[in-house]
Amino acid sequence: MSHGSVSNAPVSRDTAPRAFLELRGIHKRFGGVHALRGVGFSIVPGEAYHLLGENGCGKSTVIKIMSGAHAPDEGEIVLEGRSFRALNPIQSLAAGIETVYQDLSLLPNLTVAENVALNEQLVAHGGRLARLFDRGRLRRTAEAALEVVGLPAAPAYLSAIVSDLPLAQRQLVAIARAIATKAKMVIMDEPTTSLTRREVDNLIAVVERLRSEGVAVLFVTHKLDECYRIGGHAIVFRDGQCVGQGPLANYTKHQLTEMMTGRHIDGARYRTGAPLAEELFAAEGLALPPSLGRVSFSLRRGEILGITGLADSGRNELATAIAGVTPAAEGAIRIDGKVQRIGHPAQAIRLGIGYVPEDRLGEGLFLDKSIFENEIALVVQDLANAVGVVDRAKGRALADKISKDMRLNTGNIDLPVGALSGGNQQRVLIGRWLSILPKLLVLHGPTVGVDVGSKDTIYKVIQQLAEAGMGLVIVSDDLPELLQNCDRILVMSNGRIVAECDAARATEEQLYQAMLASRPQPSASPETLS
Amino acid sequence: MSTTSPTDVAALPVAPRRPLLELVRRRPEVITFVLLVAICVAVAIANPAFLQPSSLIDIGRASVVMGLFALGVFIILAAGGIDVSFTAIAAFTMYSLTLLVKNHFPDAPMALIVLAAVIGGAGLGVVNGLLVHYLRVPSLIVTIGTQYLFRGILLAFIGTVWIMSLPPQMGAFGRMPLLQFDAADGRTITLPFYFLVLPIAALVTWWMLNRTLMGRAIFAVGGNASVAERLGYNLRTIHIFLFAYAGGLAGLAGIIHTCANRQANPFDLVGSEINVIAAVVLGGARITGGTGSVLGTLLGVLLVVVVNSVLVMVGIPSTWQRVVVGGFILLAAAFFVFSQKKT
Repeated sequence: MSHGSVSNAPVSRDTAPRAFLELRGIHKRFGGVHALRGVGFSIVPGEAYHLLGENGCGKSTVIKIMSGAHAPDEGEIVLEGRSFRALNPIQSLAAGIETVYQDLSLLPNLTVAENVALNEQLVAHGGRLARLFDRGRLRRTAEAALEVVGLPAAPAYLSAIVSDLPLAQRQLVAIARAIATKAKMVIMDEPTTSLTRREVDNLIAVVERLRSEGVAVLFVTHKLDECYRIGGHAIVFRDGQCVGQGPLANYTKHQLTEMMTGRHIDGARYRTGAPLAEELFAAEGLALPPSLGRVSFSLRRGEILGITGLADSGRNELATAIAGVTPAAEGAIRIDGKVQRIGHPAQAIRLGIGYVPEDRLGEGLFLDKSIFENEIALVVQDLANAVGVVDRAKGRALADKISKDMRLNTGNIDLPVGALSGGNQQRVLIGRWLSILPKLLVLHGPTVGVDVGSKDTIYKVIQQLAEAGMGLVIVSDDLPELLQNCDRILVMSNGRIVAECDAARATEEQLYQAMLASRPQPSASPETLS
Repeated sequence: MSTTSPTDVAALPVAPRRPLLELVRRRPEVITFVLLVAICVAVAIANPAFLQPSSLIDIGRASVVMGLFALGVFIILAAGGIDVSFTAIAAFTMYSLTLLVKNHFPDAPMALIVLAAVIGGAGLGVVNGLLVHYLRVPSLIVTIGTQYLFRGILLAFIGTVWIMSLPPQMGAFGRMPLLQFDAADGRTITLPFYFLVLPIAALVTWWMLNRTLMGRAIFAVGGNASVAERLGYNLRTIHIFLFAYAGGLAGLAGIIHTCANRQANPFDLVGSEINVIAAVVLGGARITGGTGSVLGTLLGVLLVVVVNSVLVMVGIPSTWQRVVVGGFILLAAAFFVFSQKKT
């Protein structure tokens, strides 16, 4: 087992690109579910790969087989020329396969240095725990790895507790851990889901650096635009099979989407209707210092308004202020011509404002409750009679209708929501609001972590709601999503609206420039605000 | 290498906004220490007799058994578990061992008896560890079960009779002085030799937690067990080691308890679990796991022992001790929650 260091020149490998890892004819069954049906691909050092496919296509299973968490039922794993039937986690780690899981798999109570570099010592000792813990080595390994990902290696940072760090930095800490164990291949499971555009740029730079040092990188992602920015190979899964692989440049976005879904999905604008003339909602000088400065805008009936900006631009605070989750300190809103103040979510609901939060698991859904119970959660009081007994038949009929309207892929409304895919969970959450038909629906990151097929369904539902006269606000950093669905897009920066554009004519580049334009750039201007 | 520019991490969260609050958040045992000092000062003012060597030595002596228990509870808390069977392990080990020495090996040297207590306790701890690992049941449930089990076996099969006359070497060990002098009132005051066991056990535990991979693995498991497993930590090894270590400490505590009291009572010890867990929590270890320190644990033990033994000196009835300890726990909990929210 050669512990090739990160600094190994990739030149010697370039002449004869030999696969670092090869999967051949891998099958995996879970009970009656045939999750993988003979998939195979090979990973060459220094190359980037994008594992694409809808939720449930077998992507996570194949990752777990590579990282040693699952053993395949059939097939062969060839790792650096040696053949294995299955790997165990320590074998996989010792060979240099590192996985940055979507949940980051950090230990929240430990320091940055321990999170980055403790595993390197564990793997070096083959997983044996009756060994001394070398603090000097921990510090040196951590410093080197943090430097690669561009995080500071100061003692104060090394000893910071990971749960105190912001999410984007935790992401980099997780990648630093992968680097610290002298990885030869890094698997990243949806690494950009919760990152802003600027943070994604930084992540891409880190990936470039890893590749230049001969490390193979395998991405699992739903964001096709980012795949093209990174480049490399596509590996497309559908229903547990590999339906296509080759250089990304050989495929259009359209072709990739079709391979993933097996059906034709139009990349063009979903928005076909037009808003009505009458004003539905207006924000007048909403402010919540320090994140939100006086923001004013208006929205017509049947209009879809997009709001975007970097993570700290105030877009999130604006969304939660409208919904009453974090009420604005100043300003008011006007709904149907009447001026109102919103101090509490229940007040917003009474005024006909619905809110679908970004964190659907944490803030929105009761995972262990059924689809039926989740969908009627808002109207359960109306369904109850004088003594508080809920009319279940009426409730079930309502939930059935909502499930059909939201095109859920199951007819069984007694299924717990936790058993559904991300896309279906999101549809349940949006569907819940259909039960009270709000005048205005605020959708916060409506397709975060949702696969292409579900996105399509959610977009169609959004358009239907607008056609019916509902006003919608979509707060998102998925720019294609806003361009495809909205009438107008507002760009926020530093707590203010800095640009407004017509979604039919705007481009991603324009929006991105607007997001960054009014920001004080550290390199450009020395007198940084913040 | 200029392929990447340094990340824009302008707003690093490491600079403490309020140094004092940050210190307390990182090292909650500071609060324990302040409380302890405050009580000592208050008691010393109310009754200067508190500062006499005899009462300090009493406190030291009373801390040994509780301190050994607390170290065991602490490492299990650090790994995200909880143990309530340690008193039963201690009672089982001390009583069976005393009986064994008395009836079969009257000439066994004291060092061997202590070693046998540690090994016996560790053996019962392994039972806990295996059950926790293979049943995948919360350790609270498992150790409630084994507490009844160990105690039941002890009382049903081994004996219920108080042993009033210990084997001579055990009695001698309990009396062996480390420090001895005559107080002003003519009494002879003794700090027993067995007091040394606590600082040694604390040092070993500190070293194990901070200087071995197993120690860091224990905190890793306390942070998030399934993540730790995914990262390659062997949960089985860790579970078995943890409970064996705590069991060994309990066995040690049991035999010292017997030697110090010069009798072996099979009904003894069980029932004092909450007192020990309270001390560990007062020392800053979160009940949810992954945090705490050996020093904090010792301070927590001292705090509880001081409260239990000195309130009488200021004229507060002993029945109020529980009220005071309970109040402290709630106060400390409220404070920790408050300092978490502040950030």
